[in-house]
Amino acid sequence: MSAVPGPSITKPARVPWLAAFLVEERAAWIFVAKTLLAMYITCWLAMLFQLEQPATAMITVAIVMHPQSGMVLAKSFYRAIGTLAGSLFGLALMSVFPQQRELFLLSLSLWVAICAGGATLYRNFAAYGFVLAGYTAAIVTLPAISDPLNVFDSAVMRVSEVLLGIIVSGVVSDLIFPERLREVLRRSAREHFAHFIDFARGSTGGSIARADMERAHMRFVRAAVQLEDLRASVIFEDPEARARSSRMRLLNLRYMAASTSFQSVHHLINRLERSRPDVAQALIALYSPIGKALSPGQGRDQDPGVLAPRLAECEDILPPMAAQLRTSLPPETWLEFDTGAGLLRRFASEMRDFTALEASLREGKLRGTVETVRFPRGNDFAGASISVLRTFLTMSALSVFWLMSGWPFGSSAMLLATIFSGLFGASAHPMSGIVNTMIGYASGMLAGYIVTFWLLPGGDGFTMLIIATMPLLMIGPYLSTRATLPGVGAGYTLGFVYILALKNPMVYDPTHFLNDAIAQIVGLGLTAVAFVFVPAVTGTQWQRRRQLGQLRRQVVLAATAPLEGLLYRFESVNRDLFHQIVSHTASGSPESRSLLAWALAVHECGRAVIELRRDIASSNVPHEVSVCAEEAVRAVAHLYQAPSKAYWLEADQAVERAIAATAGKLDLARSACQPTLHHLHLLRSALRDDESAMGPFIQLPPEPSHAS
Amino acid sequence: MPREIALADAFVPGLLLVFVACLLMLWVVDTIVGRFGLYRFVWHPPLFRLAIFVCMFGAAGLLLFR
Repeated sequence: MSAVPGPSITKPARVPWLAAFLVEERAAWIFVAKTLLAMYITCWLAMLFQLEQPATAMITVAIVMHPQSGMVLAKSFYRAIGTLAGSLFGLALMSVFPQQRELFLLSLSLWVAICAGGATLYRNFAAYGFVLAGYTAAIVTLPAISDPLNVFDSAVMRVSEVLLGIIVSGVVSDLIFPERLREVLRRSAREHFAHFIDFARGSTGGSIARADMERAHMRFVRAAVQLEDLRASVIFEDPEARARSSRMRLLNLRYMAASTSFQSVHHLINRLERSRPDVAQALIALYSPIGKALSPGQGRDQDPGVLAPRLAECEDILPPMAAQLRTSLPPETWLEFDTGAGLLRRFASEMRDFTALEASLREGKLRGTVETVRFPRGNDFAGASISVLRTFLTMSALSVFWLMSGWPFGSSAMLLATIFSGLFGASAHPMSGIVNTMIGYASGMLAGYIVTFWLLPGGDGFTMLIIATMPLLMIGPYLSTRATLPGVGAGYTLGFVYILALKNPMVYDPTHFLNDAIAQIVGLGLTAVAFVFVPAVTGTQWQRRRQLGQLRRQVVLAATAPLEGLLYRFESVNRDLFHQIVSHTASGSPESRSLLAWALAVHECGRAVIELRRDIASSNVPHEVSVCAEEAVRAVAHLYQAPSKAYWLEADQAVERAIAATAGKLDLARSACQPTLHHLHLLRSALRDDESAMGPFIQLPPEPSHAS
Repeated sequence: MPREIALADAFVPGLLLVFVACLLMLWVVDTIVGRFGLYRFVWHPPLFRLAIFVCMFGAAGLLLFR
């Protein structure tokens, strides 16, 4: 049904949907084959090494397998670390409280809860490592709770089983029909680069509609976060990518800086078109050399190796051209024009840095030292503490119930509840995820029942085991390749392998089977109950409000944090935060509009504030000017901390005062005051932009000429 | 090298430590090779990496059990 899609791929014209279908099926079945192969090799090795539960090793394979090998290796890495940490903690805990069940369970609940909280603070698979560190401690200790001396063996077994599963699945996915994540990264990096360059070139005409700008911004943000996420997984797959890892980060940071400057330029031009069209036209004329540098033509428009030297040349053209354009304008608009020209120069030099780095990366040779760059993330600790609370309540309620009832299979239920409340803690729709998983889990157990009591007893040997289990087992991995059924496939595989509990020799005990099945379903159900009582915060209104507040506080960070490395920290936290909020809002909704408006305002103001602070710190600005500018920075930070009309007025006046002070000193120290003045001016024009998020707070300032 | 090593009073097979050491060595080799992009001259890089690892681990293991 799937194996030979070859001829239809080469002739896609006849039945295009069939070709697409076959390509998709082919990928899916390769994945199924790889998963099954890895699972059976693991099972065979586990039996050969006489591990206690080959099922655990097989489950590890089922969990870690992913169509792309980079993902498998990254997930394996964190799974291994999490398992080791969890086992060590479990051992330590057991040796501290060998006799006191209550204290033991209390501290275990606390540990699992803290780990679940840690998981919500991290993106990628690092989160998964945290979840594992939590529930491995439970897995290792719970079965040995009535026999504390056993816990060491239990831990060694668990670690061996998991590591076996990890090694086999890593080797299988990396060696057999590997699908490279590197290709995905390269493709999307080139796409984003091309899109950015095209966008920058296409906007030579000057003004861009606010809505287009918002869409573009959204795409820039997605690109930055997506590239960073991919990079974090690709380094496990490809040593070459690992060697360039920090350079790729640097590229991403330059990309973010350039896109922010680009937006600032266009917002400024948009604003000027409304107030001073002649200045806007002059700036558009000044933009045209950049646009020209970006279009070498002859199909080389997206070749960074060609673009970088052209941009460097264009940087030399800009200052004389600016001086010439300036003379054609009336003197009272010079300040506005200079602000824009300064921004354009900054944009050109950032573009040059960005394209030059991209060119050197594509060239494939690494030169010079390797720089250390970080991509900090924006985290919300309140959300994490809610996750901690939920997991703690689930765990301790189950412990109490278990201790009071003396239910022999209580530990099974507890294990499942632990695992799933950790896994779903950070997801946006935990309820639907749990329900899907539960459906998959139950049907997997049903299939497991059929296999255990109808098919397996008749067979003998490993071949018969494969023949008996394969038909029903392969449903799981196949289902997990369907994007329409998230969670069902994984649940099915887990339920199937878990309840099958392959052993050598095999044990057939229907009572145990049914009791265990009931306990596991109860455990899963209890996870759902826990989410009803302490709902997930991801994607809720409450969290969005908090995140928006955090986004606004980014300006405060820009105004107060130490300058060293601040620009990159600001840019990447901004993007991460924004991406988190945006991924849970419907596009086009009023919410998302206001969010975008805020994001753009924060970006522009924050960047201007940082540049301003750099001016004050680096050059020999007169004392009076720096005092006024610092006050303006503080007032802007106040405004973003708690936006209101009063604070807006305060900020506007402070910026105005600083501009006046700087302009007064301009003749004394021109070289020092000029950039300060430009950045102050940019700040003022951003504050007074009535199309931005500042719109509702703007009050028309009383005209000074009418006063007194 | 003894076949079992006591780490904090727990006996750990010496081979496990050798395994971990070989992983670290592979990591170093990977870093160097990646820096100069030498894996491009190899037909199936993951297979090659695995082969290097098997050679290292095999040699170290044989030395251990000599």
